[in-house]
Amino acid sequence: MACGPAFAQTGWQAPARFVRPELSTDEGGLWSLMEREETRLRRSPFSIRDPRLRDYVQDIACRLAGEHCPDVRVYLVQTPLFNANMAPNGMMQVWTGLMLRVDNEAQLAAVMGHEIGHYLARHSLERLRDVKSRAAFGQFLGLLGVAGAVGQLAVLASAFAYSRDQEREADQFGMILMRQAGYDPVEAGKVWANLLLEIKARPDGDAGRNSPMFASHPSPESRQETLQQLADASPGGVTNEDAWRERTRPFMREWLTDEIKRGQHEESIALFNRMIARVPSQADFVYARGEVYRLRARGDDLNAALADYQTAVSCGGEPPETHRGLGAIHRQRNQLPEARASFQRYLELAPAAPDAPMIKSYMEEAGT
Amino acid sequence: MKIVLTVLLMLAFSGCASVAKVETGERAVGERLAVTLDSAWNHIRAPGIGPAEIWTMEGLPVDQLLIYSGIRDGQAIHVERAAGSGSQKSFSFRSGMQPDEIAAMFEGMLTRDGSRFKLEKLEPVTFGGGKGLRFEYSLTRKIDNVQLSGIGYGRVSKGELFAIVYMAPRLTFFSRHAPSAEQISRSARIKE
Amino acid sequence: MLLLFFAFAGGAGAQPNLAEGFTTLPKNAKVAIIPTDIELFSISGGGVLEPKADWTEAATKHFRAALVAKKKSLGATTVELSEKDADDVADVNALHAAIARSIAQHHFGPGFMNLPTKAGKLDWSLGEPVRVIKEKTGANYALFSWIRDSYASGERVATMIVLALFGVGVPGGSQVGYASLVDLDTGRILWFNRLMRASGDLREADKAVETLNALLNNFPRTQ
Repeated sequence: MACGPAFAQTGWQAPARFVRPELSTDEGGLWSLMEREETRLRRSPFSIRDPRLRDYVQDIACRLAGEHCPDVRVYLVQTPLFNANMAPNGMMQVWTGLMLRVDNEAQLAAVMGHEIGHYLARHSLERLRDVKSRAAFGQFLGLLGVAGAVGQLAVLASAFAYSRDQEREADQFGMILMRQAGYDPVEAGKVWANLLLEIKARPDGDAGRNSPMFASHPSPESRQETLQQLADASPGGVTNEDAWRERTRPFMREWLTDEIKRGQHEESIALFNRMIARVPSQADFVYARGEVYRLRARGDDLNAALADYQTAVSCGGEPPETHRGLGAIHRQRNQLPEARASFQRYLELAPAAPDAPMIKSYMEEAGT
Repeated sequence: MKIVLTVLLMLAFSGCASVAKVETGERAVGERLAVTLDSAWNHIRAPGIGPAEIWTMEGLPVDQLLIYSGIRDGQAIHVERAAGSGSQKSFSFRSGMQPDEIAAMFEGMLTRDGSRFKLEKLEPVTFGGGKGLRFEYSLTRKIDNVQLSGIGYGRVSKGELFAIVYMAPRLTFFSRHAPSAEQISRSARIKE
Repeated sequence: MLLLFFAFAGGAGAQPNLAEGFTTLPKNAKVAIIPTDIELFSISGGGVLEPKADWTEAATKHFRAALVAKKKSLGATTVELSEKDADDVADVNALHAAIARSIAQHHFGPGFMNLPTKAGKLDWSLGEPVRVIKEKTGANYALFSWIRDSYASGERVATMIVLALFGVGVPGGSQVGYASLVDLDTGRILWFNRLMRASGDLREADKAVETLNALLNNFPRTQ
């Protein structure tokens, strides 16, 4: 398949909008199945209902999908992993772990555009024709219904993975959609590079095992180069970083907390390192890294945590939990006056915190 | 076919599981913990359940009272799966844990399956005759989307963990049975 | 043979399907039909359950048609809860599903799973949150139902026969389900029936009627 400048300049036309297929066909069956999953998702408390955020992301998807806009329905799901997928019936899921990791609208558009690419090219149907992946898919969906355990998801997603050719196709379509919607295609390559960085930080180094995204989207050879070529072919476009930061700011602390609670210290540190490098003065990011160091507590981690917490304080706008973390370390080291002062600051900044009564008792212990 | 199917389901329980009534009055759990009940509960016994004792009022899919007695340093607070059978993390008690770390440990255990936990309150309290912790939480259960409310009590005594955790659906059931769980927790006595 | 005895012993007391003090529906009873939760699977040779969307779609249709036809013999007035309204009562629905699992396990399960504090009675109640269904439909009762049905594929049947020769029992396919009648004022489960068998076929309209009849086997009469 041709790629690079030649492809980008052909007058590529998206297919016409899809008609709901006959129920008895493979595709019809899959459609119907996804419809039921969509109903479950719609009713699930894990689906984010905040209209401002949902409308914002839906609007981006809509502009990417062009004529197919009326068929694309975006669901935001609170799961701290990088993942997005689109079902043949037009249902698209975007997980909060993905929204935490992208730097701007263009990067989100790159991922959503890629998924819309799979949808427009009807790749799911091709995969389903393969008997083996039908069984695996059935098992995969069955597990979604019964256990929903995220760990198992990645293992099975690889059984139902797109082929490398399909990946290439989706990369190309996604790029075109991105560009048509006015986004800078250079951002597409960055998303995958950033994700790779994080996964390489894992102690066991196994990318596929815990990332549903990587498991179902194998990396075609020279993906980075291809994306670079495609981007070079049609430069220009926006990233909308400011708009992205503003619209996601109300949710950032929650997403950072969800990430910290994953307990995957090395990946979180790699991610936070990257975020801090981009926006060094953002206290929330520095606090988050400090918190991970404190929880990992290996070697020199507590000192690293102390340093991060103190940096966050000097940035200003630090989350109250920064002082709680400082207090915890001081308490551990029997530095009582410092512990007391930090806990007091925490209680001043967050008097209604759920753990305020406990922190108050720590403070009182340190005071005697 | 019908008989084979039914027998298989019986075998699934192996006849080793049972449910015993926990009568009102005093009841020992393990060697060092005793509680007093104002009303009867149901104690689910089955091989492989542990290390907590599991009680219920409405059945396991609805509510659970977990009683931990004498959990040792390094011991997992849930059933440990065979190695390599999944990427779920393991949560173990450490004697040096602070109250906030104990609450975080239970949070970790309860969210292994992707459920969503929110700490609503963490406070010092007298439990089993000494300084301990009490926490309140809400849990959105991943497997079936049911929203639960929960409470927990805990204390470390002579390096061992004693704890009582109760959770039930937020709608109707928590308010129906939590008072009894609270009463049981407040009645706890730990032998020093 | 001890196992066989086990299979038929256990279970609850005289009226396992009815809550204490409840036998019949009042004359002007109105029952809200909550959309049935049905899923049909096929079982491959390796024992993998594969959801079959076209079977499920057909079963949903047949089941609903059978329920409509049954309305008259049920005796009560019925009203269907729309999918939109079902969205709004999702948490009550999820709660009911958990209670139903508990009843299936601890009241209709093997006797040793019964809860002593229930004293052998069907004694579960969702409480007042169910009133939101009453508000939406004007009904004073609600009928919930749930079915999971699996069918052995050809290769599965062959595997079963081979393994049976070696004395290994392998489930060839089973139909499990329940139906539950809830009082929309108190939230009390008034009637519950559990289906668990290795027969029945929801893929054909006439056979679906048979499943529905089995499920609503001893549905309370109307005065």
